Amino acid sequence: MQTHFTDEQMQDPGIQRANEILRSCVHCGFCTATCPTYQVLGDELDSPRGRIYQIKDMLENERVPDPKTVLHIDRCLSCLACMTTCPSGVHYMHLVDHAREYIEGKYKRPLTDRLLRWTLARILPYPTRFRLALLGAKIGRPFALLMPDARLKAMLEMAPKHIPPVSRNDDPQSFAPEVPRKKRVALMTGCAQKALNTDINDATIRLLTRLGCEVVVAEGAGCCGALTHHMGKTQESHGTAAKNIRAWCAEMDGDGLDAIVINTSGCGTTVKDYGFMFRNEALAEDAKRVSDIAMDVSEVLMTLDLPEGESKETVVAYHAACSLQHGQQIKTYPKDLLKRAGYSVVEPADSHLCCGSAGTYNLMQPEISKKLKDRKVRTLEAKNPDIIAAGNIGCMMQIGGATEVPIVHTVELLDWATGGPQPPALTAEGKRAPEIPILR
Amino acid sequence: MRPENEAAMAEMVKTAAGPLRVIGGGTRDIGAPVEGETLSTAKMSGVSLYEPGALTIVAGAGTPLAEIEAVLAAEEQRLAFEPMDHRPLLGTSGEPTIGGVVAANVSGPRRIQVGSCRDSLLGVRFVDGAGRVLKNGGRVMKNVTGYDLVKLMAGSWGTLGVLSEVSLKVQAIPEASACVLLNGLDDVAAVNAMSMALGSPYDITGAAHAPVGVDGHPVTMIRIEGLEASVAYRAEKLKALFAKTGAEVLVERTPEKLTAGWKWVRDAELMQGGAGDVWRYSLKPSDAPQVVADIQEQHPEIKVLYDWGGGLVWVEAPAGTDLRRSEFAGHATLVRASNATRRAVPAFQPEPAPLVTISKGLRAKFDPRGILNPGLMG
Amino acid sequence: MFKLVIFPYQYWKGNRDMEMPAPDQSIIARKARIVDRLRSVLPADAVIEDEVETRAYECDALTAYRCPPLAAVLPASTKEVSEVLKVCHAEGVPVVPRGAGTSLAGGALPTADSVILGVARMTEVLETDYDNRFIRVQSGRTNLSVSGAVEEEDFFYAPDPSSQLACAIAGNIAMNSGGAHCLKYGVTTNNLLGVTMVMMDGEIVEIGGAHLDAAGLDLLGLICGSEGQLGVVTEATLRILRKPEGARPVLMGFDSNEVAGQCVSDIIKAGILPVAIEFMDRPCIRATEAFAGAGYPDCEALLIVEVEGSDEEIEAQLSRINAIARTHNPVELRESGSAEESAKIWLGRKSAFGAMGQINDYMCLDGTIPVSQLPYVLRRIGEMSKEYGLDVGNVFHAGDGNMHPLILFDANKPGDLELCEAFGADILKLCVEVGGCLTGEHGVGIEKRDLMVDQYDPEDLEIQMAVKDVFDPDWLLNPAKVFPLASSQERRIAAE
Repeated sequence: MQTHFTDEQMQDPGIQRANEILRSCVHCGFCTATCPTYQVLGDELDSPRGRIYQIKDMLENERVPDPKTVLHIDRCLSCLACMTTCPSGVHYMHLVDHAREYIEGKYKRPLTDRLLRWTLARILPYPTRFRLALLGAKIGRPFALLMPDARLKAMLEMAPKHIPPVSRNDDPQSFAPEVPRKKRVALMTGCAQKALNTDINDATIRLLTRLGCEVVVAEGAGCCGALTHHMGKTQESHGTAAKNIRAWCAEMDGDGLDAIVINTSGCGTTVKDYGFMFRNEALAEDAKRVSDIAMDVSEVLMTLDLPEGESKETVVAYHAACSLQHGQQIKTYPKDLLKRAGYSVVEPADSHLCCGSAGTYNLMQPEISKKLKDRKVRTLEAKNPDIIAAGNIGCMMQIGGATEVPIVHTVELLDWATGGPQPPALTAEGKRAPEIPILR
Repeated sequence: MRPENEAAMAEMVKTAAGPLRVIGGGTRDIGAPVEGETLSTAKMSGVSLYEPGALTIVAGAGTPLAEIEAVLAAEEQRLAFEPMDHRPLLGTSGEPTIGGVVAANVSGPRRIQVGSCRDSLLGVRFVDGAGRVLKNGGRVMKNVTGYDLVKLMAGSWGTLGVLSEVSLKVQAIPEASACVLLNGLDDVAAVNAMSMALGSPYDITGAAHAPVGVDGHPVTMIRIEGLEASVAYRAEKLKALFAKTGAEVLVERTPEKLTAGWKWVRDAELMQGGAGDVWRYSLKPSDAPQVVADIQEQHPEIKVLYDWGGGLVWVEAPAGTDLRRSEFAGHATLVRASNATRRAVPAFQPEPAPLVTISKGLRAKFDPRGILNPGLMG
Repeated sequence: MFKLVIFPYQYWKGNRDMEMPAPDQSIIARKARIVDRLRSVLPADAVIEDEVETRAYECDALTAYRCPPLAAVLPASTKEVSEVLKVCHAEGVPVVPRGAGTSLAGGALPTADSVILGVARMTEVLETDYDNRFIRVQSGRTNLSVSGAVEEEDFFYAPDPSSQLACAIAGNIAMNSGGAHCLKYGVTTNNLLGVTMVMMDGEIVEIGGAHLDAAGLDLLGLICGSEGQLGVVTEATLRILRKPEGARPVLMGFDSNEVAGQCVSDIIKAGILPVAIEFMDRPCIRATEAFAGAGYPDCEALLIVEVEGSDEEIEAQLSRINAIARTHNPVELRESGSAEESAKIWLGRKSAFGAMGQINDYMCLDGTIPVSQLPYVLRRIGEMSKEYGLDVGNVFHAGDGNMHPLILFDANKPGDLELCEAFGADILKLCVEVGGCLTGEHGVGIEKRDLMVDQYDPEDLEIQMAVKDVFDPDWLLNPAKVFPLASSQERRIAAE
């Protein structure tokens, strides 16, 4: 596509990258077909192609963002289905990230918006604050009906009824492998996930050590920065990301790391992009080192000779998290692993479509999110599964809140099949309706 | 008038003093009788281009169909849409022309797979009612350059223009053919069986049912064509598919019998020489048995033949009766009747008002003086 | 009644001045009223009029030409479409129907005084009938999702334009879209049984249905391919077919375009009807390899021939096709042995446009030629490419002669687009010269409008314009497309 940036504008590395992306787009419109918001709203403005066009116009003319453009960009889930679909390899993610940063810098949101976003950015990435907030929400839930703002209401309604106690496994430490060591890996324990569901990290550690990994929880690592990154709050996101980079580089330079294992695919997509995010900063080289060895847990497991399990009757519907299937282009590994472990795996229709969780999207855009959730639950339930498996806590909370079918993380099933305990969510008393979809 | 070239034809139309009865070979005498001077395209004859490797043929509108078929057969090709010969049914004589086939959008049993004449028609040249020489389409298989007047001309029965040249897509004659026969099915079961076949992956090129076949018993015919190995394979698959119908299932492979059998269907031979009027219904296949039953209730003596998997129903009914009284989705054409009946009962199904307005508007543009086969289509 | 004037009006934002009718200022002046009236018949979010928002509707997939519309509307039903058209008819506002906006010919390019009528919200399946083998859908449904709706019963909708993932049935009908597999299954017009169409004055008409053939004149055949200029199709009855038992492609590489072209002709002549025969030339093969790594041989020309049926049937067909190919000394003859290999053979072909797009901006042409002329035309295109100094890659449906030369240019380089357009025009004229046509499946749109005089005489165009008079007497639907501006306006002025 033709672009109209001046030489002066082109001095800015952000604009350079945007121009590169815009020039590769031929405006063919294929992306509209797999965009969840276009499916729901049927408006070019709420499609990737339309957003690219709006971003192009805003950047070229250095326009102060107007509320309508901001609305259409805000409605983007960043599910990146468009990137999977794009025949021309347009890097939509970097473009929309840039636009969000631009909007954050130049657009003054209404007060309630700002407050909400500020609050989320101050709470979600911090497990302790988040845990407290969840407790508060639990108390506040009965008053949900009284909330004036649909989004605040959504927040209260989505808070889980059960809040797990802190898992000491998430503290900085090292877990020795159960068999001779094959790999030394760092586990990213995440932020919101730690507060919402401690079973996933527990299962991941059991599984990895069982298969020969020394698992390190690095001192100083925390939130990946995705949440604030997607709000365009670059300073915050780079701040938390830099902490991770330093923490993992210290491990790499110490006893060495074969991989940084991430079991929340939303975080994985971001960590894998650190190299790009920091490309113009002092940490560039270290950031790239981190990105280079960042792996989704399924990628690591594919290299670890997971034992073949006996064929089971259990039908597992695999829900592909967008950050995994589109963001990281990991489509078959989790299914391959589940099958290898003996599960019978099915997939819902339109598996490429987002469940509507998308980080804080279900809080910020509750209406669209709900439509996508209902659609996803309908297509999943149509397959009559015994269990739903996903590789991302956000999806698990979103879908889990709307179906009676238990939902667990893929690693919990793999852990169970290879000698670990039955996932708590599958036990009678453990069927706790997890309801809050927060982080990808 | 028998013009020998386009310019002469254009001049004749331009200077015509009154209505013209436009014909090719004059073998398809259907529609309201037209009074006027006869304008025949018979002398606009000859194949001007034939590229077997591109599956295309271009010929003058007056080229005898037989000549086209012979030229194609020499290269083992044919017209895919299997045009019907109306002469035996209508008792007409003369030489069917390719222009006539196009003007009447004639097709045969293979229509369900390859479409009708209009689906094979690539381009036309014609003289409109004002005497202008016009063209549309061309001789290539895919062409969306401008409006598709090619389709409009097909089946317009000379009311929009006098065809001078047509170009058509042709098809290779497959090396093998077979007909799976089911004996003894009633109409509903037969349409179901045909639906089953047409809904199978076995590429059916003909699906017909005669409640009273040549031997007096119901017979359902399913045709497959292609490479020998493929035909044999599909014939077996279809036999297996039809096992649950409970009917006796046979496979006919004798080429002469196959040709004769499908010609019998194509030309509605069942109704040849009869005294009744012949109606041709085009409808949703699953509706067909009920529509037939409704007519039968009024006229028990009718003869019936189903083609196109039930989508086409031929009915021979007592002369002079208007069968269109009962409601159905689709349309019925009165193909054979006395001139008196054809004046009294519209041969072509009257259309809803908005479509009549559009058709009238189009005729006024193509034939402002209203001299081309006026009234033929109603 | 608005008045058209021949006037090269420069309201394009780009570096391209396209001759378009001057927008009717009286319409633009009445914008507020028109928008109010549209709002009175549609939900609030279905009327888009803010200038920052209408811009996204300023072009389709042909971005060289663009102009924001007065407004865009997104009705959800035939009834709403009818209401919109009544308003526009009463106000004398031109209407540009839009499917998914994937036209490569600028078929949905607005004018500044027009309302874009998008059918993207009309995606429902209305009826599915396997016994009678049809499906009825709202026209905004995408081509591929029509097949998707009948997939569970192993049926499919045959026409498969390359953009089938995204393009809408509405656009398919407007352009009479084809696809790779139309060699066997035909194009849209051969698979369309009926439509619900709204006339410009808001009247709803039903044409065709679940039955075959027309009762009178074949209006359905006329509407298909009329580029949204005769009415707005809101619902369509489409023929669906049972899926074949299997399909398998074979890939053949040849030393020259001539030999590959001859091989295509020989296959067709031999009476074997593959479902697809796709052709790629060397520039395209190289670009594709670099982008998608499909493992294509490095050769002058490549064919992908696909056949369908059971395994035995496929074997029988492929053995004959391969025998024919061998007589032409292929540099490679690779038969797929698995679904993965098939996907890999198709991968390059399907990535071709994207791959070319990585190199530079491109203009995709769509002329059709008689198959026998393939070698000559490819040679001439090669020569012209040198003369113009612009690279061109060819990837197309060889079985039916529908070519897709992709001319590479730099949209950001002043003058390059004009050069590319001139080159494109020369290629299309060549297609007509050898007995072909300007467009095989993309439509005329805005892009080839002014080349129509190279294919048709004035009277041939006049009768087509007369057809438009019948359906849309005020010429409000999809203005300034299909017909050379000079021709359409001369006669309008004469009429007034």
